Amino acid sequence: MNTVRIWFEKRGEAAYISLLDLQRVMHRALKRSGLPVWYTKGFNPHIYLAFSCPLALGQESLCESCEVKTEEESPNYDAWAEALRPALPEGLRLVSIGPAVMKMGRIQAADYTITLPADAAQALDAYNAQQSVLVEKKTKSGKKQLDLKQYIPSVSYTVKENQASFAIRLPAGDALNLNPALLVGYLQEQYGLPAWQCHILRTRIYAEDGREFR
Amino acid sequence: MPTNREDPRTMNAAEVQQALKQVLMEVQKPARYTGGEFNSVIKDADKMDVRFAFCFPDTYEIGMSFLGEKILYELLNRHENWWCERAFMPWTDMKAQMEAHNVPLYTLESKTPLSQFDIIGFTLEYELCYTNILAMLRLSGIPLRAEDRDESWPLIIAGGPCVCNAEPMADFFDVMQLGEGEQMLQDICAAVEEGKKQGLNKQQLLEKLAGIPGVYIPSFYDVTYLPDGRIDSVRPNNPHAPEKITKAIVKDLDTFVPPENFIVPMIGAVQDRACVEVLRGCVRGCRFCQAGQIYRPFRERSPKLISDSARALCRNTGYDELSLTSLSTSDHSQLEEVLDRLNAWAEADHVSLSLPSLRVDNFSQSLVEKTTKVRKSGLTFAAEAGTQRLRDVINKNVTWEQIERTCTIAFREGYTSVKLYFMMGLPTETLEDIKGIADTAQKVVDLYYSLDHAKGKGVQVTISVACFVPKPDTPFQFCAQDRRETLREKQKYLLSCVHSRKIKVNYHDSATSVLEGVFAKGDRRLGRVIEMAFENGAFFDTWEEYFDYDRWLAAFQACGIDPDFYNYREIALDEVTPWAHLDVGVSQAFLAREYQKALRAETTQPCNRQCSGCGANKLLGGPCFEYSKDLV
Repeated sequence: MNTVRIWFEKRGEAAYISLLDLQRVMHRALKRSGLPVWYTKGFNPHIYLAFSCPLALGQESLCESCEVKTEEESPNYDAWAEALRPALPEGLRLVSIGPAVMKMGRIQAADYTITLPADAAQALDAYNAQQSVLVEKKTKSGKKQLDLKQYIPSVSYTVKENQASFAIRLPAGDALNLNPALLVGYLQEQYGLPAWQCHILRTRIYAEDGREFR
Repeated sequence: MPTNREDPRTMNAAEVQQALKQVLMEVQKPARYTGGEFNSVIKDADKMDVRFAFCFPDTYEIGMSFLGEKILYELLNRHENWWCERAFMPWTDMKAQMEAHNVPLYTLESKTPLSQFDIIGFTLEYELCYTNILAMLRLSGIPLRAEDRDESWPLIIAGGPCVCNAEPMADFFDVMQLGEGEQMLQDICAAVEEGKKQGLNKQQLLEKLAGIPGVYIPSFYDVTYLPDGRIDSVRPNNPHAPEKITKAIVKDLDTFVPPENFIVPMIGAVQDRACVEVLRGCVRGCRFCQAGQIYRPFRERSPKLISDSARALCRNTGYDELSLTSLSTSDHSQLEEVLDRLNAWAEADHVSLSLPSLRVDNFSQSLVEKTTKVRKSGLTFAAEAGTQRLRDVINKNVTWEQIERTCTIAFREGYTSVKLYFMMGLPTETLEDIKGIADTAQKVVDLYYSLDHAKGKGVQVTISVACFVPKPDTPFQFCAQDRRETLREKQKYLLSCVHSRKIKVNYHDSATSVLEGVFAKGDRRLGRVIEMAFENGAFFDTWEEYFDYDRWLAAFQACGIDPDFYNYREIALDEVTPWAHLDVGVSQAFLAREYQKALRAETTQPCNRQCSGCGANKLLGGPCFEYSKDLV
């Protein structure tokens, strides 16, 4: 049995597909592709399909992934890509398919590019000058206070074409996962930035050893 | 009513798309409003001759479950120079956001404002959706009344079952389609395409359309009334309009391949599975059932086409559940062959089968085995009435022995939950009949425990009781509806008759049924009431949390119209009904005959055993069945 990792972009209006819906969308895309994916045994057999590190609703990504299994001994991944690409709906663009090299549990961090309106520069300067920035994070066991400055001490942004943008790396593992919306939400709330002009794009995912997750 | 909105015809798709960015993060389930689903059709707007917006006056999740839209969407989009797109009623949060940001209602495919289409087609599925139609027109900045729209506005058309008496909505529509749309809607689009090239004005276009079989132009008819409020006559006022509009049908279902490329919703629709229509019409003739009358005559699709289309559909969509739909799937004369063909590929393709409308009287062991390979969920039966006498009145030819036999098979197959559907407020109903509902459920519980069953596994019997609403084109169109107080007492009495915790009773409030009854049998004078209720804030009346009965009563009062006149009054057998000029096939004489038989508790045979002379076979141009053949 081989485990196969599918990498895809989630962009444009596909950003509004929730994780629950994404599972259904991918399940059906796989079924349409006719690929020899492995079905679970049991009373209600279904395609084994696992998503890693789900993205929050409304955010975009260049590096979403999920894994399936196959009983094919040496899958022809070019042929797989060719079959799956046309079966995906608008906004979900296939990037690559290949063997799952690492286990999903090894994911630890992710890079994001944040784009804000140009007048956010003031807000960002103010953020950089703060000693601590306390925000509330919702967890399974309730709300928890957290100091953003502990994870994002400062951001170095650039302004061009009416937009301020910067990149940040945040924890994205099982033990600790920080949604970049915590920072963006804080800036919106404190400095009145309109939500629809704030844009979050996930660009890369890393394993615990700092190497790119594969 | 003028709107404050700027003329929506000046906003383009790109501007809508830009404005949506501001809106979508503020609403629940934004994926309902984005489009982009697999199999949705994108074309080049500049190359189109006809642009059609298919509108469903309820939420995306409900509208996307509707088979009629899938059929017509595929048929229209097969024409290279026509583009059929979709729009649904936005949920209240989205509606408020759109109003706040001046976003007009748009189609999901191209984000084009509705006001820029050639044709806007609404489905009239249910009377309580009428206010949503007005809400969607208003969100589009389109004048509500047909008389206030010239040819610069889209042609507003309707289709669907409620057109058999859509008189309450007559003021708002330019064109209505009586019957099946496969051919009729293509003919309408072709006429619009030609009319645009010829530069016809609206009146000329309507006259052209009036010649298409099944097409009804409400403004081409004058209604006169008697002093007591009943209708005196309905007469055409335009030489192009026929005296009576005869329903359009597809004579041979095999001439239209069922849709094989359903749009696959990203978010779960109510019916989110593959489905194939196996037959149209119904042989049963239940006297309360409007669908059973208005979809006549009975026609079947061939097993090979059903199976081939189903397979293509599952492959094109990725659905893993297939349902065979119709009013009465087990009445297909070759159902076993259909199932054998489907079972030949379904398991290998990882597709499971379900038959949603099984009947207790021809439910067999092999049928159960052929459909329950994958899942054993609950069984659902429509018994409709609690005693044999009342079942005979409504011509629901089901006996307790059949229910017993079916439940025995099902319990032995491992089923443990049974849902029984009943109605309350049927003609001639007494408290004895209400008690019969509880007794029937109790007998099912007793039956379960009299059989060998797994230890510790109990049975659950759910009684679901709907309020009966007399509908046009049925033998019970002549009846008065039960009053709310009466229905409440009957509900209370039913609860007092249930003595087992294995039995659960579901019933609905009857206020919506009252309005449904009024609009089902209503006439053109109700258009003002609908408009007033809408202007006073009514929409999403199908949703309990938005339905306000008092608002409706106030609208009736303000218009000086007594709703009781429509639903609490018996109609004489020879009275001119508001829908007398809309001919669905079954004759008034047949309906009157059936009503009189009902009052004598006499049953009528299913059509495939003996022709009851309803008149619908004229639509086929010959008999519906070869009666010489040995039909079961």
